[in-house]
Amino acid sequence: MADLRELEGELAATLRRLEPRTKFAEILAQAQSGEGVRIERKTTTMSREPRVRGAVIRAWAGTRWAEAATSRLDGASLHEAEAALEHALSTAASGGGPPGEPSTLRSESTDDASGSKRGLSSEEMLSFSRDVMRWATAVPGVSNAQAGVGWTDEERLYVNTAGARCYQMLHRVIGGCVPFAIENGRAENDYVYFGSLGSSELFNFMSEERVTQTAKSARELLSARAPPAGELSVVLDPSTSGTFAHESFGHGTEADQFVRDRSYLRPILGQTVGPATLTLVDEGSYPHGWGSIWFDDEGRASQRTVLVDRGRFVGALHDRETAATLHARPTGNARRSDFLSRLFVRMTNTYVEAGEWTFEELVKEVKDGVVLEHATSGIEDPQGGQMQLKVKRGQRIEHGQLTGPVRSMALSGKVLDFLQQIRGVSRQSDFEMTPGYCGKGHSDLLPVGSGGTFLLSTAVVGPA
Amino acid sequence: MSETNGTASTAFRAAERLKLAEPWEVYGERSSRYEIHLNGREIELVRGPILVEGYGVRVFRPRDGGTGTGFQASTDFSEEGIRATAEDAEALTQYSSFPAKKIELPNGSTASAPSPEIRDPRLWDRPLETLQEYVDGLLRSFDGVPDAQPSFGSVRATLSETTLTNSAGLRANYPHTNVIFELAVKSTAGPEGRPPGEYWVNEIMRRLESHDLPDRVADWCRLARDARRAEPTPTGDLPVVLPASVLSGILPLGIGDRVTGAARLRDLAPQIGTVWGTDAVTLRDDGRVPWGISSSPVDDEGSPQRERTILDHGRVTGLLYDARHAGAFDTGSTGNAVRGGHFSFTEWRRFESAPGSATTTLVLAPGDGGSDAELIEAAGDGIWLQQLGWAIPDPVTGAFGGEIRIGYRIRGGKLAEPVRGGTLGGVVVAPEGQPSLLGSAVGFGSTAVLSEKLLSPTLLVRPLTVAGQG
Repeated sequence: MADLRELEGELAATLRRLEPRTKFAEILAQAQSGEGVRIERKTTTMSREPRVRGAVIRAWAGTRWAEAATSRLDGASLHEAEAALEHALSTAASGGGPPGEPSTLRSESTDDASGSKRGLSSEEMLSFSRDVMRWATAVPGVSNAQAGVGWTDEERLYVNTAGARCYQMLHRVIGGCVPFAIENGRAENDYVYFGSLGSSELFNFMSEERVTQTAKSARELLSARAPPAGELSVVLDPSTSGTFAHESFGHGTEADQFVRDRSYLRPILGQTVGPATLTLVDEGSYPHGWGSIWFDDEGRASQRTVLVDRGRFVGALHDRETAATLHARPTGNARRSDFLSRLFVRMTNTYVEAGEWTFEELVKEVKDGVVLEHATSGIEDPQGGQMQLKVKRGQRIEHGQLTGPVRSMALSGKVLDFLQQIRGVSRQSDFEMTPGYCGKGHSDLLPVGSGGTFLLSTAVVGPA
Repeated sequence: MSETNGTASTAFRAAERLKLAEPWEVYGERSSRYEIHLNGREIELVRGPILVEGYGVRVFRPRDGGTGTGFQASTDFSEEGIRATAEDAEALTQYSSFPAKKIELPNGSTASAPSPEIRDPRLWDRPLETLQEYVDGLLRSFDGVPDAQPSFGSVRATLSETTLTNSAGLRANYPHTNVIFELAVKSTAGPEGRPPGEYWVNEIMRRLESHDLPDRVADWCRLARDARRAEPTPTGDLPVVLPASVLSGILPLGIGDRVTGAARLRDLAPQIGTVWGTDAVTLRDDGRVPWGISSSPVDDEGSPQRERTILDHGRVTGLLYDARHAGAFDTGSTGNAVRGGHFSFTEWRRFESAPGSATTTLVLAPGDGGSDAELIEAAGDGIWLQQLGWAIPDPVTGAFGGEIRIGYRIRGGKLAEPVRGGTLGGVVVAPEGQPSLLGSAVGFGSTAVLSEKLLSPTLLVRPLTVAGQG
């Protein structure tokens, strides 16, 4: 399909037609391509990204935004979408402009794909996936696995009536393996995943050693104990620390929740919320991060935003509107899931910065507790300040010693209590950034990274 | 529906210009979406129409003693676009393999398959006005409520026409509507010093009904107030009462991931005759339930919807197949081809996915446990679970659980104080004699309620593991 830049003339013409009828309008066009393979013991599936592309038009209708979108990028279809805004814009000229300053940035960026697997052939992906499958099923008791790898190239072109024009190409690579162990009618699994922007690290990360270790973990879980139930010391592994960062101070600092007065965090901005060892960051410019972007969908460059600085809550994530309302600056966090979805303030790569402890030192601190490993999901409660984290597996800690694996579990707790009880964060050498997808409300999924090292605190856990 | 007026022909138009060897299939979808987003009581954004028209092409080719399947989707209806889409699908068969020697695609037309009620006629004819009226009614229902108001929400309606055709002569076409409604209700009533309470409403449905909004809003406000004054959850193995609205986040995936042809291919499906529940558990799958979000006249390959028994008095009696997985086991499709990815329900853009085998609406037979109040009385000392956070089961182990967003302590057979926080979990099914959600269900309410992909009575399960600070 044609590069989106070839359609700029149509987008510019649409903006010109809208200009007399609104104080501000913008268009985001989006397209993507890609390929992936997934194999199991009895099946092989090769797929390509759907040939879907389109554009969304957002225009200020005097007192609120109006939007229309289309999955066709020809002039007639854009004209039809623009016409659909006619009624909403009929009163726009009489009102004021939208809150905040529009972007005027003009730039083009593509990720550094040097050494990446862009253009990875179908044969190479199949061969790699078969290697992963072979490594996993070589472990006794592991009869099957899902192994896969894929890449996408996503184009986004943003233009507005203030003159901004931002084009970006994002090349993402992801791969993983889920080994299945089955015994006496009981089944277990574990997972290992890697995803990044414009990097070939996948193929180093998904090593035979790591895949074998994951397959052994799946088998080990068949005979693992149930996790303990109740309030106790918890050590979060890097993937779970990352999910904690995302759910605790990530969603709660999306400033649209501040504006709606729907964040328990807003009243405590500037206060100390945790120990000096705790620093939380959102960074859309994180090198090769799965959630990294060059520009957000209001045409602002991505950046590093410190949310908690050595225990003090110092920052929030903004789009133009929340920044204007709260006398802050936009942080490059205005994101749409795709051209069909609305714009929200969203995270990019959110992580806990490393501390000084070692994992062994954290475990020694614990009399009765559990290590939570391999995060599978999390949810936030921006109003009430609760959070839930779920993990695939864990390890029991008794009297400062690891005493065996435990099965999947959930953690529940009040974020501020959890922060105040953080006793240690482990070193940079443990740091991992995990790929994932985040929704806002029901849907609007988009890629985000979550990172951290090991972290010790206290919370309620139970089987899940 | 002005943007999709006339007879939908998306799949037919694309298929006419395809130059493919048999067997092939084209699934088309033309959708318009309209949305209203709220910031408190204010409308902050009106969206629509959001127009998407696309098609997915699937082809099957003999390969290595089985079948190579190729699938590609597109919104490009130009000659070049259709040709490229077909070439993609054809090329992908070279790299794909599936252990089915023959795949029987359905034929016929929807004329012979009566459609369940899945289209809201008012929404179809006047989408934006109907949304606006719903939002007006919603906000009016909050008038005069001093201590609870909406803080954030949206209503998103999708109007779609689905078309299917294939090389076996199938021509199917049906219209349907979907609505996603989300609302955060915030309460500042109750004890000083606590954060505001919130109740999060999240519903997926086929139609918009506003006549009962005043009663529903009153309920949501009560739950938001109770979230604020809730006490910590106790710890222990306790009797738990779960209504259909909670079970719908657990059973469809917990059961659905295990009773399909896909699970059988992974050696994860149960043998026919396996005991998965008590004698009181009879579970069916039915793609014709009126207003079910997964209901339709035909499945996503064009096979007529029907009722299939999965568990009869606790024993597994049948598995669910689409045409491809049926071909792998020399059996017939049960009409369970579903597009839309892992969660097996996507309200639109289904044309972007090839079908897999999945449940439609699970129907759990009611029992003789009576009303919710009678089940609560039977629980004696336990928990009524109102809302559980992201309890979604592991597709392999069936382990489910999450944080208790809001529940109530049951004391002496009566609802007592609200509880919040802590976790509740278990496994959906387990080998006979081991505790599980279905195996430990001791009370089945007498009335079934439709909640998303589940039509179920309230269940009393004795026990489930609850972990909290109390």
